[in-house]
Amino acid sequence: MLEAPDAADLLATARDSLLQKLLPALPAHLHYEARMAANAIAIASRAIPADPAPLAARLAELAEDAAGFAARIRAGEFAPGAPRHAEAAALLRDMARLRCSVSAPRALR
Amino acid sequence: MDEARRAALNAWLSQAAGTPVEIGAASLLSGGAIQQNWAISVTRGGAAEEWVLRTDNAATLTVSLPRTAEYALLRAAFSADVTVPEPLFCCEDASIIGAPFFVMRRVPGTATAFRLAKLAAALGGDAELVRHAGKEMARIHSIVPPRDDLAFLGAPPADAGVEFVRAMRERLDAAGTPRPVLEWGLFALERHPVPPLAPVLCHNDFRTGNLMVEGHAVTAVLDWEFAAWGDPHADLGWFCAPCWRFGNLALEAGGLGPRAALLEGYGPAADPSRLPFWELAASIRWAVIAADQGARHLSGQERGLELALTAHIIPELELDILRQVEDLDARSA
Repeated sequence: MLEAPDAADLLATARDSLLQKLLPALPAHLHYEARMAANAIAIASRAIPADPAPLAARLAELAEDAAGFAARIRAGEFAPGAPRHAEAAALLRDMARLRCSVSAPRALR
Repeated sequence: MDEARRAALNAWLSQAAGTPVEIGAASLLSGGAIQQNWAISVTRGGAAEEWVLRTDNAATLTVSLPRTAEYALLRAAFSADVTVPEPLFCCEDASIIGAPFFVMRRVPGTATAFRLAKLAAALGGDAELVRHAGKEMARIHSIVPPRDDLAFLGAPPADAGVEFVRAMRERLDAAGTPRPVLEWGLFALERHPVPPLAPVLCHNDFRTGNLMVEGHAVTAVLDWEFAAWGDPHADLGWFCAPCWRFGNLALEAGGLGPRAALLEGYGPAADPSRLPFWELAASIRWAVIAADQGARHLSGQERGLELALTAHIIPELELDILRQVEDLDARSA
Protein backbone atom coordinates (compact mmCIF):
# COMPACT_ATOMS: atom_id res chain seq x y z
CA MET A 1 0.00 0.00 0.00
CA LEU A 2 2.84 2.37 0.83
CA GLU A 3 5.11 3.83 -1.80
CA ALA A 4 8.67 2.62 -2.13
CA PRO A 5 11.45 3.35 -1.21
CA ASP A 6 10.40 2.30 2.26
CA ALA A 7 11.38 3.83 5.60
CA ALA A 8 14.62 1.84 5.92
CA ASP A 9 15.76 2.82 2.44
CA LEU A 10 14.90 6.51 2.97
CA LEU A 11 16.72 6.64 6.29
CA ALA A 12 19.81 4.98 4.81
CA THR A 13 19.78 7.34 1.85
CA ALA A 14 19.30 10.40 4.04
CA ARG A 15 22.17 9.27 6.29
CA ASP A 16 24.50 8.84 3.32
CA SER A 17 23.58 12.29 2.09
CA LEU A 18 24.19 13.79 5.54
CA LEU A 19 27.59 12.17 6.02
CA GLN A 20 28.92 12.36 2.47
CA LYS A 21 27.50 15.60 1.09
CA LEU A 22 26.39 17.81 3.95
CA LEU A 23 28.99 17.11 6.64
CA PRO A 24 32.03 18.12 4.54
CA ALA A 25 30.31 21.42 3.68
CA LEU A 26 29.45 22.26 7.29
CA PRO A 27 31.63 24.48 9.48
CA ALA A 28 33.64 22.53 12.07
CA HIS A 29 31.52 23.58 15.04
CA LEU A 30 28.49 21.80 13.51
CA HIS A 31 30.25 18.49 12.77
CA TYR A 32 29.40 17.01 16.15
CA GLU A 33 25.70 17.84 15.74
CA ALA A 34 25.71 16.36 12.21
CA ARG A 35 27.37 13.17 13.45
CA MET A 36 24.80 12.91 16.20
CA ALA A 37 22.04 13.28 13.58
CA ALA A 38 23.64 10.49 11.53
CA ASN A 39 23.80 8.33 14.66
CA ALA A 40 20.13 8.99 15.42
CA ILE A 41 19.19 7.93 11.88
CA ALA A 42 21.24 4.74 12.26
CA ILE A 43 19.49 3.84 15.52
CA ALA A 44 16.08 4.51 13.98
CA SER A 45 17.00 2.31 10.99
CA ARG A 46 18.00 -0.59 13.22
CA ALA A 47 14.78 -0.25 15.20
CA ILE A 48 12.67 -1.06 12.13
CA PRO A 49 13.38 -4.83 12.00
CA ALA A 50 13.67 -5.26 15.79
CA ASP A 51 10.86 -7.45 17.09
CA PRO A 52 10.29 -7.36 20.85
CA ALA A 53 7.17 -9.60 20.63
CA PRO A 54 8.86 -12.95 21.47
CA LEU A 55 10.56 -11.40 24.50
CA ALA A 56 7.33 -9.72 25.58
CA ALA A 57 5.71 -13.18 25.52
CA ARG A 58 8.47 -14.57 27.75
CA LEU A 59 8.12 -11.57 30.04
CA ALA A 60 4.40 -12.29 30.36
CA GLU A 61 5.31 -15.76 31.65
CA LEU A 62 7.27 -14.23 34.53
CA ALA A 63 5.35 -11.09 35.49
CA GLU A 64 2.36 -8.99 34.51
CA ASP A 65 4.47 -6.44 32.60
CA ALA A 66 7.87 -4.69 32.69
CA ALA A 67 6.89 -2.68 35.77
CA GLY A 68 5.76 -5.86 37.53
CA PHE A 69 8.99 -7.60 36.53
CA ALA A 70 11.07 -4.71 37.90
CA ALA A 71 9.11 -4.68 41.15
CA ARG A 72 9.43 -8.45 41.61
CA ILE A 73 13.19 -8.30 41.02
CA ARG A 74 13.47 -5.57 43.66
CA ALA A 75 11.40 -7.66 46.06
CA GLY A 76 13.86 -10.55 45.64
CA GLU A 77 11.49 -12.91 43.86
CA PHE A 78 14.21 -13.94 41.35
CA ALA A 79 17.14 -14.06 43.77
CA PRO A 80 19.81 -16.71 43.19
CA GLY A 81 18.38 -19.97 44.46
CA ALA A 82 14.79 -18.98 43.66
CA PRO A 83 13.05 -21.40 41.24
CA ARG A 84 12.83 -18.92 38.36
CA HIS A 85 16.20 -17.19 38.86
CA ALA A 86 17.82 -18.64 35.73
CA GLU A 87 14.76 -17.92 33.62
CA ALA A 88 14.70 -14.29 34.74
CA ALA A 89 18.46 -13.90 34.17
CA ALA A 90 18.19 -15.33 30.65
CA LEU A 91 15.28 -13.04 29.80
CA LEU A 92 17.14 -9.96 31.07
CA ARG A 93 20.16 -10.92 28.99
CA ASP A 94 18.08 -11.42 25.84
CA MET A 95 16.20 -8.17 26.41
CA ALA A 96 19.47 -6.27 26.86
CA ARG A 97 20.86 -7.89 23.72
CA LEU A 98 17.82 -6.95 21.65
CA ARG A 99 17.99 -3.38 23.00
CA CYS A 100 21.72 -3.26 22.16
CA SER A 101 21.09 -4.54 18.63
CA VAL A 102 19.22 -1.26 18.07
CA SER A 103 21.06 1.22 20.31
CA ALA A 104 24.65 -0.05 20.40
CA PRO A 105 25.31 -3.05 18.14
CA ARG A 106 29.07 -2.77 18.66
CA ALA A 107 28.53 -3.83 22.27
CA LEU A 108 27.37 -7.24 21.00
CA ARG A 109 30.66 -8.08 19.29
CA MET B 1 29.52 37.82 25.41
CA ASP B 2 27.99 41.22 24.55
CA GLU B 3 29.46 44.63 25.39
CA ALA B 4 27.16 45.37 28.34
CA ARG B 5 28.00 42.05 30.00
CA ARG B 6 31.68 42.49 29.36
CA ALA B 7 31.64 45.95 30.96
CA ALA B 8 29.71 44.67 33.99
CA LEU B 9 32.11 41.76 34.29
CA ASN B 10 35.18 44.03 34.03
CA ALA B 11 33.80 46.21 36.80
CA TRP B 12 32.94 43.28 39.07
CA LEU B 13 36.28 41.50 38.54
CA SER B 14 38.24 44.73 39.13
CA GLN B 15 36.48 45.23 42.43
CA ALA B 16 37.03 41.59 43.45
CA ALA B 17 40.70 41.69 42.48
CA GLY B 18 41.29 45.12 44.02
CA THR B 19 43.06 46.20 40.85
CA PRO B 20 41.82 46.95 37.32
CA VAL B 21 40.90 43.81 35.36
CA GLU B 22 40.26 44.10 31.64
CA ILE B 23 38.90 41.19 29.57
CA GLY B 24 40.43 40.81 26.13
CA ALA B 25 39.56 37.76 24.05
CA ALA B 26 36.70 35.52 25.26
CA SER B 27 35.68 32.26 23.62
CA LEU B 28 33.27 29.51 24.58
CA LEU B 29 35.13 26.28 25.35
CA SER B 30 33.42 22.94 24.68
CA GLY B 31 31.35 22.80 27.84
CA GLY B 32 29.29 20.09 29.50
CA ALA B 33 25.55 19.57 29.29
CA ILE B 34 25.11 21.54 32.48
CA GLN B 35 27.46 24.48 32.43
CA GLN B 36 29.32 26.87 30.16
CA ASN B 37 33.04 27.43 30.26
CA TRP B 38 34.56 30.55 28.73
CA ALA B 39 38.26 30.95 28.07
CA ILE B 40 39.07 34.57 28.83
CA SER B 41 42.32 36.44 28.40
CA VAL B 42 42.60 39.27 30.89
CA THR B 43 45.00 41.85 32.15
CA ARG B 44 45.09 42.18 35.94
CA GLY B 45 46.86 45.34 37.03
CA GLY B 46 48.35 45.46 33.55
CA ALA B 47 49.74 41.90 33.56
CA ALA B 48 48.34 39.31 31.14
CA GLU B 49 46.65 36.22 32.63
CA GLU B 50 44.63 33.34 31.17
CA TRP B 51 41.43 32.44 33.03
CA VAL B 52 38.36 30.27 32.68
CA LEU B 53 34.93 31.59 33.61
CA ARG B 54 32.42 28.91 34.55
CA THR B 55 28.69 29.49 34.68
CA ASP B 56 25.41 27.61 34.34
CA ASN B 57 23.47 26.72 31.24
CA ALA B 58 19.80 27.63 31.24
CA ALA B 59 18.69 24.09 32.11
CA THR B 60 20.56 22.75 35.11
CA LEU B 61 20.40 19.21 36.45
CA THR B 62 18.77 19.37 39.83
CA VAL B 63 21.21 16.77 41.18
CA SER B 64 24.26 18.91 40.48
CA LEU B 65 25.64 21.54 42.82
CA PRO B 66 25.39 25.27 42.07
CA ARG B 67 28.47 27.13 40.85
CA THR B 68 29.09 28.72 44.27
CA ALA B 69 29.29 25.29 45.91
CA GLU B 70 31.60 24.06 43.17
CA TYR B 71 33.86 27.04 43.90
CA ALA B 72 34.01 26.12 47.60
CA LEU B 73 34.95 22.54 46.62
CA LEU B 74 37.64 23.81 44.30
CA ARG B 75 39.10 25.90 47.13
CA ALA B 76 39.03 22.92 49.49
CA ALA B 77 40.71 20.75 46.88
CA PHE B 78 43.32 23.41 46.08
CA SER B 79 44.17 23.62 49.80
CA ALA B 80 44.45 19.81 49.98
CA ASP B 81 47.06 19.88 47.18
CA VAL B 82 44.75 18.33 44.61
CA THR B 83 45.86 19.45 41.16
CA VAL B 84 43.03 21.81 40.26
CA PRO B 85 42.93 25.17 38.49
CA GLU B 86 43.54 27.87 41.08
CA PRO B 87 40.14 29.29 42.07
CA LEU B 88 40.22 33.09 41.85
CA PHE B 89 36.85 34.80 42.39
CA CYS B 90 33.25 33.72 42.79
CA CYS B 91 30.19 35.86 42.06
CA GLU B 92 26.81 34.86 43.51
CA ASP B 93 25.07 37.86 41.96
CA ALA B 94 23.12 36.61 38.93
CA SER B 95 22.65 40.14 37.58
CA ILE B 96 26.27 40.56 36.40
CA ILE B 97 26.21 38.04 33.52
CA GLY B 98 22.80 36.39 33.97
CA ALA B 99 23.83 33.58 36.33
CA PRO B 100 26.28 33.06 39.19
CA PHE B 101 29.81 32.32 38.01
CA PHE B 102 33.36 31.85 39.14
CA VAL B 103 36.74 32.34 37.54
CA MET B 104 39.79 30.15 37.84
CA ARG B 105 43.21 30.09 36.28
CA ARG B 106 43.41 28.27 32.94
CA VAL B 107 45.68 25.21 32.91
CA PRO B 108 47.37 23.62 29.92
CA GLY B 109 46.46 20.19 28.61
CA THR B 110 43.64 18.27 26.98
CA ALA B 111 40.67 16.57 28.60
CA THR B 112 39.22 15.02 25.43
CA ALA B 113 38.62 11.43 26.48
CA PHE B 114 38.89 9.67 23.11
CA ARG B 115 42.11 11.50 22.29
CA LEU B 116 43.68 10.55 25.63
CA ALA B 117 42.48 6.96 25.27
CA LYS B 118 44.04 6.77 21.82
CA LEU B 119 47.37 8.11 23.07
CA ALA B 120 47.36 5.66 25.99
CA ALA B 121 46.46 2.72 23.73
CA ALA B 122 49.38 3.56 21.44
CA LEU B 123 51.66 3.15 24.48
CA GLY B 124 49.98 -0.09 25.51
CA GLY B 125 48.75 1.79 28.58
CA ASP B 126 50.11 4.83 30.39
CA ALA B 127 50.94 3.53 33.88
CA GLU B 128 52.60 6.81 34.87
CA LEU B 129 49.51 8.87 34.07
CA VAL B 130 47.23 6.44 35.88
CA ARG B 131 49.47 6.41 38.97
CA HIS B 132 49.25 10.18 38.96
CA ALA B 133 45.44 9.95 38.74
CA GLY B 134 45.44 7.60 41.74
CA LYS B 135 47.51 10.09 43.74
CA GLU B 136 45.09 12.89 42.91
CA MET B 137 42.17 10.78 44.01
CA ALA B 138 43.83 9.98 47.35
CA ARG B 139 44.40 13.69 47.93
CA ILE B 140 40.73 14.40 47.31
CA HIS B 141 39.85 11.68 49.81
CA SER B 142 42.07 13.32 52.44
CA ILE B 143 39.23 15.87 52.79
CA VAL B 144 36.92 14.51 55.48
CA PRO B 145 33.84 15.77 57.33
CA PRO B 146 32.90 17.79 59.23
CA ARG B 147 33.80 20.91 57.25
CA ASP B 148 32.05 24.24 57.78
CA ASP B 149 33.13 25.43 54.33
CA LEU B 150 31.43 22.38 52.76
CA ALA B 151 28.29 22.44 54.93
CA PHE B 152 26.13 22.46 51.75
CA LEU B 153 27.08 18.80 51.27
CA GLY B 154 24.90 17.89 54.24
CA ALA B 155 25.55 15.08 56.69
CA PRO B 156 27.58 12.11 55.44
CA PRO B 157 25.66 8.85 54.96
CA ALA B 158 26.08 6.26 57.71
CA ASP B 159 26.58 3.58 55.04
CA ALA B 160 27.42 4.88 51.57
CA GLY B 161 26.62 1.56 49.85
CA VAL B 162 23.17 1.25 51.42
CA GLU B 163 22.50 4.92 50.70
CA PHE B 164 23.51 4.44 47.06
CA VAL B 165 20.96 1.66 46.54
CA ARG B 166 18.25 3.69 48.29
CA ALA B 167 18.95 6.84 46.27
CA MET B 168 19.03 5.01 42.93
CA ARG B 169 15.71 3.28 43.65
CA GLU B 170 14.21 6.61 44.58
CA ARG B 171 15.34 8.10 41.28
CA LEU B 172 14.05 5.13 39.30
CA ASP B 173 10.69 5.41 41.03
CA ALA B 174 10.54 9.15 40.38
CA ALA B 175 11.36 8.60 36.68
CA GLY B 176 8.58 6.04 36.39
CA THR B 177 10.14 3.94 33.60
CA PRO B 178 10.56 0.32 34.70
CA ARG B 179 14.21 -0.75 34.39
CA PRO B 180 14.40 -4.47 35.23
CA VAL B 181 18.16 -4.74 34.55
CA LEU B 182 18.96 -1.81 36.84
CA GLU B 183 16.79 -3.42 39.53
CA TRP B 184 18.75 -6.64 38.97
CA GLY B 185 21.98 -4.75 39.55
CA LEU B 186 20.71 -2.91 42.63
CA PHE B 187 19.43 -6.13 44.12
CA ALA B 188 22.89 -7.68 43.59
CA LEU B 189 24.47 -4.74 45.45
CA GLU B 190 22.05 -5.35 48.28
CA ARG B 191 23.01 -9.05 48.33
CA HIS B 192 26.76 -8.29 48.38
CA PRO B 193 27.08 -5.31 50.73
CA VAL B 194 30.43 -3.73 51.56
CA PRO B 195 30.92 -2.77 55.21
CA PRO B 196 30.81 1.01 55.69
CA LEU B 197 34.02 3.05 55.94
CA ALA B 198 34.59 6.47 57.46
CA PRO B 199 33.23 9.00 54.94
CA VAL B 200 35.52 11.09 52.74
CA LEU B 201 34.96 13.67 50.03
CA CYS B 202 34.15 11.84 46.79
CA HIS B 203 34.48 13.73 43.52
CA ASN B 204 31.80 11.49 41.96
CA ASP B 205 32.73 12.20 38.36
CA PHE B 206 36.45 11.39 38.46
CA ARG B 207 36.92 9.84 35.03
CA THR B 208 38.75 10.20 31.76
CA GLY B 209 37.19 13.29 30.19
CA ASN B 210 37.21 15.21 33.47
CA LEU B 211 40.98 15.06 33.88
CA MET B 212 43.09 17.65 32.13
CA VAL B 213 46.25 15.92 30.99
CA GLU B 214 49.57 17.02 29.57
CA GLY B 215 52.13 14.37 28.72
CA HIS B 216 51.93 11.76 31.49
CA ALA B 217 50.67 14.17 34.13
CA VAL B 218 47.26 15.30 35.35
CA THR B 219 47.23 19.09 35.08
CA ALA B 220 43.73 19.51 36.56
CA VAL B 221 40.86 17.53 38.06
CA LEU B 222 37.75 19.18 36.63
CA ASP B 223 33.97 19.21 37.16
CA TRP B 224 33.28 19.10 40.89
CA GLU B 225 29.54 19.51 40.70
CA PHE B 226 28.63 15.98 41.83
CA ALA B 227 30.95 15.86 44.85
CA ALA B 228 29.53 14.39 48.07
CA TRP B 229 30.59 12.59 51.25
CA GLY B 230 30.90 8.85 50.63
CA ASP B 231 33.03 5.73 50.26
CA PRO B 232 36.38 6.48 48.59
CA HIS B 233 35.98 3.32 46.51
CA ALA B 234 33.02 4.93 44.75
CA ASP B 235 35.55 7.17 42.92
CA LEU B 236 37.93 4.28 42.22
CA GLY B 237 35.02 2.21 40.87
CA TRP B 238 33.69 5.06 38.73
CA PHE B 239 37.13 5.59 37.16
CA CYS B 240 37.52 1.85 36.42
CA ALA B 241 33.95 1.04 35.27
CA PRO B 242 33.77 -0.46 31.75
CA CYS B 243 31.64 2.45 30.51
CA TRP B 244 34.48 4.93 31.08
CA ARG B 245 37.22 3.08 29.18
CA PHE B 246 36.56 4.77 25.85
CA GLY B 247 37.11 1.69 23.71
CA ASN B 248 40.20 0.46 25.63
CA LEU B 249 38.46 -2.28 27.60
CA ALA B 250 41.73 -3.94 28.59
CA LEU B 251 43.06 -0.72 30.12
CA GLU B 252 40.87 -1.03 33.17
CA ALA B 253 41.78 2.28 34.78
CA GLY B 254 39.81 4.78 32.71
CA GLY B 255 40.90 3.28 29.39
CA LEU B 256 44.29 4.82 30.13
CA GLY B 257 46.31 2.25 32.04
CA PRO B 258 46.40 -0.80 34.29
CA ARG B 259 44.25 -0.92 37.39
CA ALA B 260 47.27 -1.97 39.47
CA ALA B 261 49.01 1.33 38.65
CA LEU B 262 45.95 3.32 39.74
CA LEU B 263 45.83 1.46 43.06
CA GLU B 264 49.57 1.85 43.51
CA GLY B 265 49.31 5.61 42.97
CA TYR B 266 46.36 5.74 45.34
CA GLY B 267 48.19 3.99 48.15
CA PRO B 268 47.45 1.35 50.77
CA ALA B 269 44.00 2.70 51.70
CA ALA B 270 42.56 1.23 48.49
CA ASP B 271 40.85 -2.13 49.07
CA PRO B 272 40.50 -3.93 45.72
CA SER B 273 37.90 -6.28 47.16
CA ARG B 274 35.45 -3.36 47.33
CA LEU B 275 35.84 -2.45 43.65
CA PRO B 276 33.40 -4.97 42.09
CA PHE B 277 30.62 -3.48 44.23
CA TRP B 278 31.47 0.11 43.27
CA GLU B 279 32.13 -0.65 39.61
CA LEU B 280 28.68 -2.20 39.34
CA ALA B 281 27.33 0.82 41.21
CA ALA B 282 29.06 3.03 38.61
CA SER B 283 27.33 1.32 35.67
CA ILE B 284 23.98 1.61 37.41
CA ARG B 285 24.53 5.26 38.30
CA TRP B 286 25.51 6.23 34.76
CA ALA B 287 22.45 4.39 33.43
CA VAL B 288 20.19 6.25 35.87
CA ILE B 289 21.76 9.58 34.86
CA ALA B 290 21.42 8.71 31.16
CA ALA B 291 17.76 7.78 31.72
CA ASP B 292 17.13 11.11 33.41
CA GLN B 293 18.79 12.96 30.54
CA GLY B 294 16.69 11.06 28.00
CA ALA B 295 13.61 11.91 30.05
CA ARG B 296 14.40 15.61 29.78
CA HIS B 297 14.14 15.22 26.02
CA LEU B 298 11.07 12.97 26.12
CA SER B 299 9.18 15.27 28.49
CA GLY B 300 9.71 18.23 26.18
CA GLN B 301 11.52 20.05 28.98
CA GLU B 302 14.64 20.35 26.87
CA ARG B 303 14.49 18.65 23.49
CA GLY B 304 17.70 17.92 21.64
CA LEU B 305 19.79 15.27 19.93
CA GLU B 306 22.43 14.95 22.63
CA LEU B 307 19.92 14.19 25.38
CA ALA B 308 17.92 11.90 23.07
CA LEU B 309 21.02 9.88 22.17
CA THR B 310 22.20 9.67 25.77
CA ALA B 311 19.20 7.44 26.51
CA HIS B 312 20.51 5.00 23.88
CA ILE B 313 23.65 4.43 25.95
CA ILE B 314 21.53 2.54 28.49
CA PRO B 315 21.27 -0.83 26.69
CA GLU B 316 25.06 -1.17 26.54
CA LEU B 317 25.25 -0.31 30.24
CA GLU B 318 22.67 -3.02 30.87
CA LEU B 319 24.95 -5.62 29.26
CA ASP B 320 27.77 -4.37 31.51
CA ILE B 321 25.52 -4.60 34.56
CA LEU B 322 24.43 -8.18 33.82
CA ARG B 323 28.07 -9.25 33.40
CA GLN B 324 29.11 -7.42 36.57
CA VAL B 325 26.33 -9.11 38.58
CA GLU B 326 27.57 -12.50 37.34
CA ASP B 327 31.12 -11.59 38.39
CA LEU B 328 29.99 -10.42 41.79
CA ASP B 329 28.04 -13.65 42.34
CA ALA B 330 30.95 -15.79 41.10
CA ARG B 331 33.39 -14.09 43.49
CA SER B 332 31.31 -14.78 46.52
CA ALA B 333 30.20 -18.28 45.43
